[in-house]
Amino acid sequence: MKDIVYNDITFVIEKNDGGWDISRKLTNEAIAVVGANLFADLPDGEARAQALIRTIFPVGIKLVGPDVAHPNRVGELRVVGPDVGHPNFVHWNEDSTSCSKLT
Amino acid sequence: MEIKNSVALVTGGSGGIGEAVAKFLAKGGARVAVVGGSQMNVDRVVKDIRDMGGEVLGIQADVTSEADTARFIQATLEAFGKLNIVVASAGIIHDGMLLTLDKETGKVSRKMGLDKWQSVIDVNLTGTFLTLRDAAEAMVNGGWEGLLVPIASVNKAGQVGQINYSSSKVAVALLPKIIIGEFLMRGIRNIRCVGIAPGYTATRMLTEMKQDALKALLENVHIGRLIEPDEIATIIGHCVENGAINATTIEITGGLCYPSGVAK
Repeated sequence: MKDIVYNDITFVIEKNDGGWDISRKLTNEAIAVVGANLFADLPDGEARAQALIRTIFPVGIKLVGPDVAHPNRVGELRVVGPDVGHPNFVHWNEDSTSCSKLT
Repeated sequence: MEIKNSVALVTGGSGGIGEAVAKFLAKGGARVAVVGGSQMNVDRVVKDIRDMGGEVLGIQADVTSEADTARFIQATLEAFGKLNIVVASAGIIHDGMLLTLDKETGKVSRKMGLDKWQSVIDVNLTGTFLTLRDAAEAMVNGGWEGLLVPIASVNKAGQVGQINYSSSKVAVALLPKIIIGEFLMRGIRNIRCVGIAPGYTATRMLTEMKQDALKALLENVHIGRLIEPDEIATIIGHCVENGAINATTIEITGGLCYPSGVAK
């Protein structure tokens, strides 16, 4: 069983007989199931579960469409096109805990 | 196509018809991605399917958002490796009349707000469009056999007090014909599209109605009861397995009729 903190949420990744389970801890100490019995016959189930968490619960703010796969980057920020001056949010791949606090 | 070992995605899967469909497909051996607007309800359905022994994933998302649609499609592919069955069941109702008149003056005292119209069109029609579009893209690029199921309504025939809802649902009901016509032009032969148009269904919205009002509704239903969500799920299951059903919208209404008139 492994706890992962991502996007300020604590996730639990656990192997069972049917595959991998992903849960997240709620503020009232309860547990909510994100996915169950995943990646049963696949290698690297734990790594796949971690990647899946990042897909389902994206961090930061997003610049949305139309081209959500645009390759532009500004440092750690991926600015998705075509209008990089668009007032929509900017997609940020880094977890908040990995960035130094502003002083 | 078989339900067993298929991968299914159900929007609106955290309640009502969508929840019943998600659970039905999971019981049939599909791996299921449950998409809903409420994280709490998504969590509940995912837990239920997990407790059934199913392979399941839950994603909270706004079906009117292109980015959210891309996210839940991507998550489904990452979790399950493919996509076969997509049921676009997310829908809302905001009933109201186009115009309300002052009883004394006969002048218009109120008109349906644009927000009330647009919110229903956005979720019911645009949300369905985005889900089917991106799901079809994934299926074509992955080379997977597929079934797209937009959920319409018997009130595609038109219902007073539901100009927004009826307008959205008649458009949804048309989608299968257009999609399959385009698929034929493009040489896409392994993905079908079948709409479902339910009548009055036993979801919380109707079961929590005042009994007098519900009784009045059911007077025009030939079988005299609400449709069960599982009955709709069963029809969808049949559509999965019967490859000849395509490019149409199937009504399941129990024989809902116009007052003193023919069936809708």
